[in-house]
Amino acid sequence: MTIIRLDSVTKFYGQIKIIDDISLKIKLGERLIILGPSGCGKTTILRLIAGLIAPDEGKIVIEGELASENGQILLPPEQRNLGMVFQDLALWPHFSVAGNIEFGLKAIGMPLRERKIRIMDTLKLVGLEGFAERKPGELSGGQQQRVALARALASRPGALLMDEPLSSLDPELNIRLRKEVLRLHEKSGFTLLYVTHDREEAWALSNRMILMRKGRIEIDGSVEEARDYFNRDLLER
Amino acid sequence: MSRRIILAGTVILLLIVGLAPVLSMLVKSLFSDGRFSTEAYQGLFTSHHQWTLMGHSLSLSLLTMILTVIMGVPLGILLGKSDLPLRRFFIILFVIPLLIPPYITAVSWVDLLSGNGLLTGWMNPGFAGQVSRLLFGLPGCVLVLFATYLPIPMILTIVFLRTIHPGMEEAGRLVSEWNGVVKKITLPLILPGVFLAALLVFLLSFGEFGVPNFLRYTVFPVESFTQFSAFYDFKAATAATIPLAVVTFLLLVVEARFLREKTYLISSTPEARQSPIIELKNCRTWLLGIVALLGFVIVILPITALIFQSGNLSIYKEALRQAGDSLVRSLLYAGLGATFLTIVGFFIGYLIQTKAWRFWKAIDSVTVFLFALPGTVIGIGLISLWNTPKTNFIYGTPLIILFGYLAKYTALTSRISVTQLAQIPPTMDEAARIAGAGWIRRMILITAPLAKRGLVAAWLAGYVFSLRDTSITMLVYPPGHDTLPVRIFTLMANGSPELIAALSIIMIVATLLPTGIFWMISERIDRPVIR
Repeated sequence: MTIIRLDSVTKFYGQIKIIDDISLKIKLGERLIILGPSGCGKTTILRLIAGLIAPDEGKIVIEGELASENGQILLPPEQRNLGMVFQDLALWPHFSVAGNIEFGLKAIGMPLRERKIRIMDTLKLVGLEGFAERKPGELSGGQQQRVALARALASRPGALLMDEPLSSLDPELNIRLRKEVLRLHEKSGFTLLYVTHDREEAWALSNRMILMRKGRIEIDGSVEEARDYFNRDLLER
Repeated sequence: MSRRIILAGTVILLLIVGLAPVLSMLVKSLFSDGRFSTEAYQGLFTSHHQWTLMGHSLSLSLLTMILTVIMGVPLGILLGKSDLPLRRFFIILFVIPLLIPPYITAVSWVDLLSGNGLLTGWMNPGFAGQVSRLLFGLPGCVLVLFATYLPIPMILTIVFLRTIHPGMEEAGRLVSEWNGVVKKITLPLILPGVFLAALLVFLLSFGEFGVPNFLRYTVFPVESFTQFSAFYDFKAATAATIPLAVVTFLLLVVEARFLREKTYLISSTPEARQSPIIELKNCRTWLLGIVALLGFVIVILPITALIFQSGNLSIYKEALRQAGDSLVRSLLYAGLGATFLTIVGFFIGYLIQTKAWRFWKAIDSVTVFLFALPGTVIGIGLISLWNTPKTNFIYGTPLIILFGYLAKYTALTSRISVTQLAQIPPTMDEAARIAGAGWIRRMILITAPLAKRGLVAAWLAGYVFSLRDTSITMLVYPPGHDTLPVRIFTLMANGSPELIAALSIIMIVATLLPTGIFWMISERIDRPVIR
């Protein structure tokens, strides 16, 4: 079942074409990794799907509903049932860990008792029981990543969008958290759309991979196909 | 939808309280007996008196601007970038005159240097007479406005110094001594800040009413006020405001063209804390002496003169008896004004920072124009628009004073908000949006708490400027609703010097005490609030 669909999507920033006529279908439960160099438009794809920006041309359909079309956002971000982990994590420093998670649950009108249970369940899922009352500033880098994950997952979104969330971590922690993401995906079964410029990260996480360059999709296939493409590309150079 | 309604409401409010009065005043001055007439403006370019006024206004503004920049920029470099002792103390000391109504500084200098002043009493009578004559005129006005506005170039220099990446100066230090680095690297990098300071001082001096009025130097704001309050000649008063509005407008066009992009978002570079410090070495002691002497002469001496002049405690009791009610009103109106200014400034700042509307630049320009416009122009405009039987519920109540504060000072709070909002990563709001929160919820729970430091600073700026306002309040206050600066001003005509001095000290305390408390609170707001 297709959960997100992009039809001939194009996006300009000023005169520059950032996304060039991209079409894409993302299936329920899929682990799709978008790999590409800086400036190739991979973050823009996430922001288009999230509804933070509108495509100049083409349309985006989420869970069967037309979400954006030709410069217009028809379904605002708060109604798209998506979770997102930002590159800078964007944890709200004035809220506790529990407060960060609770914010979205309150916004969708979940009753207090249910909220409390959900917060505890989510913290348990990411291994942060006992950290509920801490402020983000009091946590290590890895713990902050987990809070961001917990916050995005708490409302059980249709899909989870992750924008290079591990790029600022040291290699050891990066590997540990990759495994954590895989574990969470297996356990919760959410659809994952993950953006990175790091090949190792991409190989480790994907079951489908998109390679992007200059706003276009170069390869959409399995990890092996992507590897082959890279090897060929290197030889040709 | 809620975002559009709130932002539109805020902009409409600003236009009603700020722009509409000025336009109304202009339109009314162009009609006589129901017919279009330029009668009020006919003498504007032909009368010798008008040109004298223009000469006076320009001399006062230019001299004040040149002096403050010449002294303020080196002072800012010394206090912001050198190893001079007591830098923090001196910064606070030099800022004090900016916080109090300038005419109170004028009162203190009159206590010192008038015919029988505290200092002139010690002088040879002939020399004392000369000094006194100089005080009542252009030199005296320049002296008072110099003391008042010196903090502007000083602070802007310090702020702009913090925007310089330390590597730029360190690279210079590898090949040159500090003198060369300051001349060739530091000064060119802070030049937009210096120009901005010069422009601000010029405009504020150009629109200053209280000091020239008290020291009997006729400039356009004094002329306008006199025409209005003494002769109730509305058209002549309006005509006298036109040169002020035109010069203000032209200077703001220059500012928008050449300066705004370079000075709009002033944010410290994260590495500013490691900025290299100028070691003064042998010059340290005598530079400390010069700075201390300057601080003593332009801040401590005048305030001490007021304390001496006021005499004993009984005069303070009498002062409170005569003006206690206006003191309470001053604090109340300034508190309310600051609160409204913070709210309106926050939404205007949000609109500008997020460029939420296509016309954000025009809205920004309106706030800046109103801030730069002399208070007398806004005051007369407010009277022109609201002094009707139908709108007496505004004109006849303190609301009209609050309208005046909003019109004039929104630029301050909106600029502070813009700077603060620019420092919040957009992902904070985006994350809340994706989490399902609407705009109002995000504003209340995410944006405002993250901008709280800026909100406190905006409130503080709004409070100080509302409290020290004289020119607008003097024109628009309803009977029985005068504020302390206005009461002092009116008592000057027949009150004893001791009483005026005591009231001035009370005014200074009323300004500095809450400002100090709030400043200390804002200093502590580094950590996030507890939820």
